[in-house]
Amino acid sequence: MSDRLERYAELAVRVGANVQPGQEVFVHGLVEHAELVRALTRQSYRAGASFVNVGYEDQHIRRAMIEFGPDEALTYTPEWLKTTAKSTAGNAQLGTTGNPEPELLADLDGERVGRAVPLEAVEIYRGLHRKSSINWCGVGAVTEGWARQVLGEPDVEQLWEKIAFCMRLDEPDPVAAWRAHLDRLDARAGALTALQPDAIRYRGPGTDLTVGLLPTARWGSARFRTASGIEYVANMPTEEIFTTPDPSRAEGTIRSSMPLSLGGQLIRGLEFGFEDGRIVQVDAETGADVVRGHLANIENADRLGELALVTKESRVGQTGTLFYSTLFDENATCHIAYGFGVPNAFDGEPDERMNSSRIHVDFMVGGPELAVDAVLADGTELPLIRDEEWQLAA
Amino acid sequence: MDERLERYAELVVRVGANVQPGQEVFLLPKVEHHELARALARQAYRAGASYVHVRYQDSHVLKAMIGLGPDEALTHSPEWLKSFFGSMSGNAMIATTGDPEPELLADLDGERVGRAVPQEIVQIRMEQLRENNVNWCGVGAPSEGWATQVFGEPDVEQLWEKVAFCMRLDEPDPVAAWRDHIARLKAREAALNDLHVDALRYRGPGTDLTVGLLPNVRWLGGGSDSSTGITYVANMPTEEVFTSPDAARTEGTIRATLPLPLSGQIVRGLELTFEGGRAVRVEAETGAELVRSHLATIENADRLGEVALVTGESRVGQTGTVFYDALFDENATCHIAYGAGFPFLADGDPGDGLNVANTHVDFMVGGPELEVDAVLADGTAVPLIRNEEWQLA
Repeated sequence: MSDRLERYAELAVRVGANVQPGQEVFVHGLVEHAELVRALTRQSYRAGASFVNVGYEDQHIRRAMIEFGPDEALTYTPEWLKTTAKSTAGNAQLGTTGNPEPELLADLDGERVGRAVPLEAVEIYRGLHRKSSINWCGVGAVTEGWARQVLGEPDVEQLWEKIAFCMRLDEPDPVAAWRAHLDRLDARAGALTALQPDAIRYRGPGTDLTVGLLPTARWGSARFRTASGIEYVANMPTEEIFTTPDPSRAEGTIRSSMPLSLGGQLIRGLEFGFEDGRIVQVDAETGADVVRGHLANIENADRLGELALVTKESRVGQTGTLFYSTLFDENATCHIAYGFGVPNAFDGEPDERMNSSRIHVDFMVGGPELAVDAVLADGTELPLIRDEEWQLAA
Repeated sequence: MDERLERYAELVVRVGANVQPGQEVFLLPKVEHHELARALARQAYRAGASYVHVRYQDSHVLKAMIGLGPDEALTHSPEWLKSFFGSMSGNAMIATTGDPEPELLADLDGERVGRAVPQEIVQIRMEQLRENNVNWCGVGAPSEGWATQVFGEPDVEQLWEKVAFCMRLDEPDPVAAWRDHIARLKAREAALNDLHVDALRYRGPGTDLTVGLLPNVRWLGGGSDSSTGITYVANMPTEEVFTSPDAARTEGTIRATLPLPLSGQIVRGLELTFEGGRAVRVEAETGAELVRSHLATIENADRLGEVALVTGESRVGQTGTVFYDALFDENATCHIAYGAGFPFLADGDPGDGLNVANTHVDFMVGGPELEVDAVLADGTAVPLIRNEEWQLA
């Protein structure tokens, strides 16, 4: 039993999901993540979990379904999966990411890959997140396949070192380091919320996009609180401050600055054109069909749900590594998501205009050449990010 | 893609569970068995499955629960898992065996290990076995850990070769070979049913046991038909002809002849003594506490649920290998199970004689020195097995 693995799992359980004594815990991971899933299970019981439910997922089974299964299977949600989703209410959840075979589905029909979503389960989870009834956390799981994708060779140890750095496991007291880090992000978010920007404008190579904001949506870090008052950190690592935008106000074009691993395919060179809040143009060097499949088949997937700002203090960004994992890459640099909005951006009930969809896909847009401005109600533009540095006080 | 693996999975899907077009298929593999699980999923969809569900099981998660979890967790059956198992009714199921770490739980408290059974889930599964409404199959999944247990080294290829031999994958037409093999077992089944056996008597070193049989409970070998009308082979490999005994009529002592992996421990040198149908004494060189915990905490686990006859023609027996896996070892030689009997073997109401319990544990008793006789109602003893050879016409 590796001590680093146990300390990592303990941090995810105690700081991330913040599992409370007597809670049930739901752990979801790929079969290839078994080592971490087992450590998360042990640490959850040590934290006082009454029962740990483990649900392993397997992309190859999903591949078999998309390749050989009938059409109805693609969107089918089995009863037991609905029951699993409902049972998470009031409980803790831990998910692992880090795809050992990010291009496993690359040779399949992109339209079918995009359609293969167990819609009813997604719907249930979305409702529970809207009501803030789950304390949850997503963390990365190191595998040979992921290491090969990131480093070009199965150097698991090197990937571990990078992840331990992103997770602040090198600090003498990682729990205290995390508290200080989240306080910094919350201060930044507070300053931006106080500015009451009406819109955010992005400019850079291939990018000139303005996205309107909702007046009651605030900026925040990924440190959330459940309706019952449990504080948790939804993503570890997290380096972002985010809000959920006005889905009817996005105009212009934006170019993704990093490849995106999505539904078993790699999307490279993604570019969107927006009119009146809707994506009207999708281009990509690879994987455009997966994104088009989403936008064509899933209601309101063609509207924005999240804007997130990340600067170069990011430990993920400092590694200079492309992780091919949304959890990490979205914390390396600024990102935007199409699909459902994030209810945690509201102090009370979310604005009813917040985008409602069955999907949420983050893509990275940041980089040295991206300029981000806050546009105030009177039209004044204030620089927020230049050369990946934060421009606003706090 | 490994061609042998795909042919193996295809045989299990088509001959074993006999998945029908439009059926849902439930896979119950261990995490370490994901290569086979994936092949089974592919072959199930190819056979026309409408959906393939997978529930990976992980002994390390179980170990964490037993070692670190609260008492109530041990017997807890989560709602979603009840829903999963409940949905199997009317559908197909394939489970994999071959424990990659058979002694993983050996250092835990045996009493807690024995108690760690999700009672309501076992109840659902037992009900399905009673109703016989799931066409299912259990198969072996070679892994490094299992190979190490069997050979002392992680020689997965050698284990694969033995498993392929047991599964008749070396035959030019494995499906036809299985058809012939099942016909042979069916002939044995018919001969035993025609004999109207009142009791079985086992004699051998450390063994002298008589087990009464029930007049309206049949012998079965090879495949069976589900109540939904699908012919399936519940175990692959299978070499046995078996029945469920009268749980009230077991007298004497029986000694196991092979080690038995059970709940993460290995039970060696097991000896059970019966009086009035109940096990009254349990001895073993290792793992006795675990068996005693089963018998003490699970109602009627101390009565017998199955007697099964296997002879030297068995392909599993021919490998001369102890597989440390019930699916294989029970098909190497004669075995007996404590716990639940099989209600689907009964014509009409089997009465109280057929055991009802939330467990079923097979242990091996056969070997060259074991003699098995059929005792008829008039007291005549008819030899069934001598020197591992079948004696009946």
